[in-house]
Amino acid sequence: MQVAIIDFGSQWTHRIHRTLKYLGVNSEILPVSAPLKKILMADALVFSGGAIRIGLGESKKIGNARKYLENFEGPIMGVCAGQQFIGMHFGGKARPAAGPEYGKVELIVDDHDELFEGLPGKFTVGASHNDEVVDTPGFSVLAHSKDCSNHAFKSNSRPIYGTLFHPEVEHTEHGDKIYANFLKIVKR
Amino acid sequence: MAFDPQKFISESIVQIRATVGDKRAIIAVSGGVDSSVAAALASRALGKNVLCVFVDTGLMRKGEAENVRAALEPLGVNLKVVDASREFLGALKNTSEPEKKRKIIGEKFIRVFESEAKRFGASFLVQGTIAPDWIESGAGLRDTIKSHHNVGGLPKKMKMRLVEPLRELYKDEVRKVGQALGLPQEIYSRQPFPGPGLAVRIMGKITPKKVEIVREACAIVEEEIELAAKEGKMERPWQYFAVLLPIKSVGVLGDARAYGYAIAVRAVDSIDGMTAKASRIAPEVLEKIADRITRKLKEDVNRVVYDITSKPPATIEWE
Repeated sequence: MQVAIIDFGSQWTHRIHRTLKYLGVNSEILPVSAPLKKILMADALVFSGGAIRIGLGESKKIGNARKYLENFEGPIMGVCAGQQFIGMHFGGKARPAAGPEYGKVELIVDDHDELFEGLPGKFTVGASHNDEVVDTPGFSVLAHSKDCSNHAFKSNSRPIYGTLFHPEVEHTEHGDKIYANFLKIVKR
Repeated sequence: MAFDPQKFISESIVQIRATVGDKRAIIAVSGGVDSSVAAALASRALGKNVLCVFVDTGLMRKGEAENVRAALEPLGVNLKVVDASREFLGALKNTSEPEKKRKIIGEKFIRVFESEAKRFGASFLVQGTIAPDWIESGAGLRDTIKSHHNVGGLPKKMKMRLVEPLRELYKDEVRKVGQALGLPQEIYSRQPFPGPGLAVRIMGKITPKKVEIVREACAIVEEEIELAAKEGKMERPWQYFAVLLPIKSVGVLGDARAYGYAIAVRAVDSIDGMTAKASRIAPEVLEKIADRITRKLKEDVNRVVYDITSKPPATIEWE
């Protein structure tokens, strides 16, 4: 299995690579300028987080990422800015979160299928964001926090997932399990 | 599938040999975990063709030159200590902006290494760069959080080629490699120390006097926290040190008014340095630190505070 990690410029992009490596899966970190042809060779995509504020119209900086979403049919997971980008692309609305979340946040899981399979109903996650994307048509919310109503979602029609928190950082409990659950979806 | 240090060691020895061939290399060592592990790897790969260079920037911890000797002697490598403290402190005079400090230091290091490389006939520079160094230095869409002296602080023009065997690793993995290479535990489990040294623990302008203050305060924090850990009062944190703040506040010393600097104590728990949380230090340990710092540095410091911020939003070091 080969996962392409699309780098939106997160401090933790390489942590995603490390988490996947520890789960025994090869991955390559690619810039958003990578040609579509190269992306289509991967078995799954992960869109990293990044400092760009998707909701403020900065999504011009995301290069070919739109093309990846439109043409790649396999499983895709977005993290933080990556999740917000996916949400916006499919018609969601960006807005500043009720409160910005930096550091530890208590996550409340609303749907234990797939991404959160086998995990507790509440646990601590690491986040670092100002905005959130809500009301994406055709997507279901999987988890929320006190200040963010959409902390994780999935598409109802395609294998596309996203988390606003960062499952690859140490502050996140069960983070490796979340990636393992995603990889299970990739294998199926 | 966990990280396999033995496999990493054999692969990187092959790679270092392929890159350097039979040419010579100098190794930049600071006494920290990363550069000591890089030195051990490179000397295993290249044998007598390497020279370790330790630059005393005047911004090092207390007793650091002796520590470096103790760390590297068991490896049987040649070590050269270069005292460049006057040059570093001179170049940093009047600089208070953190990024500027880091760039000045990065450039100075390279100039010293270049002249040592010329003397030794080396065309390669081995550095203990690890993943967070280049991640936080920024590139492409990735923002610059801080320019690490060994990456973002490097001058544009350099006469040596870089060899960075630990580039893909994080600190916890580097420690495993150090252990597998047979380094002493004091070395591979040592707390991180920033490349720019005490320069980034002095907020604002750097003066020799301020270096002395923060060096002493750091030594006290290290001693007290290590003692508390030894006595089982707490786990030894990932990193623990003092920061000299540029603000002054009013105190009372021996019934007389005092007006002195404040020291911030920072101690964090982390695995990889990319996220961290403030350590839970017992109040009596913090009190003892405050007492010792304000007594020892009574002319200059009359207040000690404890930094309780996580990373993010803060970083571990203050600059």
